[in-house]
Amino acid sequence: MKQIVEEKIENFKNQFHDSDDFASRIFICDQGTIGFVFLKSMSDPILFSQNIYLPIQNYAKTISSDNLINVILKNNVIEKIESKDIIKNILDGKVVVFSDFFNDYISVDITSYPTRTPSEPPTSPVIQGPREGFVEDFKTNMTLIRRRIHSKDLVFETMFVGQITQTKVILTYIDKVADKKVVKHIKNKISKIKINGIVDSYYILSFLEKRPNSLFKQIGNSEKPDVVVSKMLEGKVAIIVDNSPIVLTVPFILMEDMQSSNDYYTNHHYSSVVRFIRMLGLLIAIVAPGFYLALQLFHYNILPLNFLITIADTTQGLPFTPFLEILFIFLLFQILYEVSLRLPSYLGLATSVVGALILGDTGVKAGLISPPGVIITALAKIALYTVPEQQSQITVLQIIFIILGGSLGILGIVCGFIYVVNYLNTLNDFDTPYMAPYAPRIRKDLQDGLIKVPPNDMKSPPSSFAGPINKEGK
Amino acid sequence: MKTISARQTGIIIFLTIFANKILLLPSIMYQKSQADAVFVMFGIFALELFILWVFLSLKKRYPYQNLQQILKKSIGKYLSKVLIFVFLIFFLFKTILTYSVVYVYLKDLVYQDEFGFLALVCFLPVVNHAVVCGLRAMGRTFELFYYLILAGVIFCLAIAFFTEISIPVFFTANVGAMFNSAFTHLFSFGDYLVLFVFIDKISLEKKDYKKILSFAFFAIILVLMIFSIFYAKYQITSFMHNNALADLLVFSVQFNAIGRLDIVAMLTIMTLGLFQLEIFQYAFCESFVMVFDKLSIKYAIAVFDILFFVIYFILIGKYELMIQLTTQYLSYFSLLSNFIVPIIIACCLFKKKKELKE
Repeated sequence: MKQIVEEKIENFKNQFHDSDDFASRIFICDQGTIGFVFLKSMSDPILFSQNIYLPIQNYAKTISSDNLINVILKNNVIEKIESKDIIKNILDGKVVVFSDFFNDYISVDITSYPTRTPSEPPTSPVIQGPREGFVEDFKTNMTLIRRRIHSKDLVFETMFVGQITQTKVILTYIDKVADKKVVKHIKNKISKIKINGIVDSYYILSFLEKRPNSLFKQIGNSEKPDVVVSKMLEGKVAIIVDNSPIVLTVPFILMEDMQSSNDYYTNHHYSSVVRFIRMLGLLIAIVAPGFYLALQLFHYNILPLNFLITIADTTQGLPFTPFLEILFIFLLFQILYEVSLRLPSYLGLATSVVGALILGDTGVKAGLISPPGVIITALAKIALYTVPEQQSQITVLQIIFIILGGSLGILGIVCGFIYVVNYLNTLNDFDTPYMAPYAPRIRKDLQDGLIKVPPNDMKSPPSSFAGPINKEGK
Repeated sequence: MKTISARQTGIIIFLTIFANKILLLPSIMYQKSQADAVFVMFGIFALELFILWVFLSLKKRYPYQNLQQILKKSIGKYLSKVLIFVFLIFFLFKTILTYSVVYVYLKDLVYQDEFGFLALVCFLPVVNHAVVCGLRAMGRTFELFYYLILAGVIFCLAIAFFTEISIPVFFTANVGAMFNSAFTHLFSFGDYLVLFVFIDKISLEKKDYKKILSFAFFAIILVLMIFSIFYAKYQITSFMHNNALADLLVFSVQFNAIGRLDIVAMLTIMTLGLFQLEIFQYAFCESFVMVFDKLSIKYAIAVFDILFFVIYFILIGKYELMIQLTTQYLSYFSLLSNFIVPIIIACCLFKKKKELKE
């Protein structure tokens, strides 16, 4: 009889390719043999001994298929499972219990692995308001959302993605608020994902986007549960991916990145001013270097005389043309940025010294670059961080606008800008206009646009998301 | 179907009425009818409301059909194609005229050297892309820029108004000269015709008619204000200033002392010009697809580009030739497209109404 249990254990062991973290135990009692299998890397061996093995040992004489579940301590989730789900349960960190004197397979949750405690995300710090951030563990993330929405309408739907990794992707939405068509559409898209593995939520982005080759972001993301919850209250669907602290939200509109969680925890007048500044920052970041080049090369007659003299003075004798100079400074900033991201923190100060003093100051003194060029490029690079979520897109746009401004002047910039806006206006994922609530103008949603009204005036969710059909056609 | 809202339609009307009348037209109209060009404009605008009325009646009766489907029922397939072909030619030359006017402005005031091909390189891909993006994306873009454009125009007007101006001398041209002026510059009008070619892509309800009219009236008032302030500012030298909106700023001496404000006019005119090109090229492509119903809009764009390149080398940059073409030959054509075709459409409408009553 013992042989049957041993054979089963051997079979499981083979399925796990004799992996070192595969663990098994055998307990022999009067009635027969009981087998236990689990993964040491995903389960807690102490919990296993205390809550499962010892109680069974204590009740060895009276144990039967009927009372086994009652013997195991009740602080663990226990369920009967089918044989096809055994591997999945073991992989989830559960112990699977089986025997030769009963036919059921019992799964006991003793999952334990190292997780990070929720802390303030480094990408979105706030002065006021909640400081919790999502972590890599999906269960913690689900709890962080559930804690904020005490409603039976909050739904979590788990799907598995990745032929090898079988990563948990959890769709979460508020049933009465979210658009059913969007939920269905996302579920459909996720179920069709064919990929070996999902390491981060970013991996599924391109599968959800309508135009995966587009430069522009089409799916929202956040590391903060309060932000995700507020988006869900607007009717959006959140997607939690196991092992990723970034939660995705759909549908997405550009205005979302102009908003910060801080806006909702401060005076609304102040928030409106800050949003205007962010908008201005975005504009400066995109066009400032190109515009400066256009003025310098094509439209110098527009510049006030004093400014023109300053530029003429400082650019005299430079070895580069203005176009190459701006490109050179831009490249320098980009290199410093990449270096500062990857350098160990104790070398950060050294990078600043090298960047600011040696490359900047000495470059100007050596007559390689001009001070206005450095100022304009630095301004554009700093302004970029008024909307950090758009950093990657803006960097590419900066290069495009430098080329346009340097080769075609202001006309190039105007044409480029209108081209981009026209393109953005074609983005209409999940029937949500990308530039809403301004293009098309959705009057009701302007309350949380650049000008923010107090929370007591925002009574219903924005219609940009709630209604599936395009508004302007109605 | 991807449709545009009443507000976006209103903005399209505003842009088409406004954009091609603020650069060259005030100056060339002054040559025929002096400051009384304002009254000539007023007269044509009033007459043109007939076209708008025909459009709104058509939309009310056939909310979901395109122009060809509407006309086909009344006058048959081939005659309907002929009428739409008239529109096609009208929009082709309208686009060319707009290119020419913007080109003259860019060459004279912005780049101050030979610039033709550069302007072409900039405009053509953007306009083509906009047409590919479709009317809905274009409508949204116009909506986004509407207030910025308005602010730019009002800024130019305000600056000109608060510098040295005196009341223009009206009632100097006789009635004949005024009629002559109206006829010769007819090609610069007929802006409501664009609405006919994408009638099926506009979502309008009865309550929206007021909105459409308000945008049209607003554009008309603004154009008349520009004409009046321009003539008030330059008086008898008005004919020398070919870029009215920009010239309102350029010669505002007091403000120039502080800093050059030309950039406002520059950005406004470039944006307006580009938008108008988008609207007219889109209208051309829609007409093309209706006439040659087996070809897609991408073919229409390709045909437009080829025609444009051909006409570009004949016309654009040749100021005198362009004026001659628009004021002499195209005036007769405009009479056909701006009034006779809408009258035929109106007759079809009445015929249908009568048939329905019977």
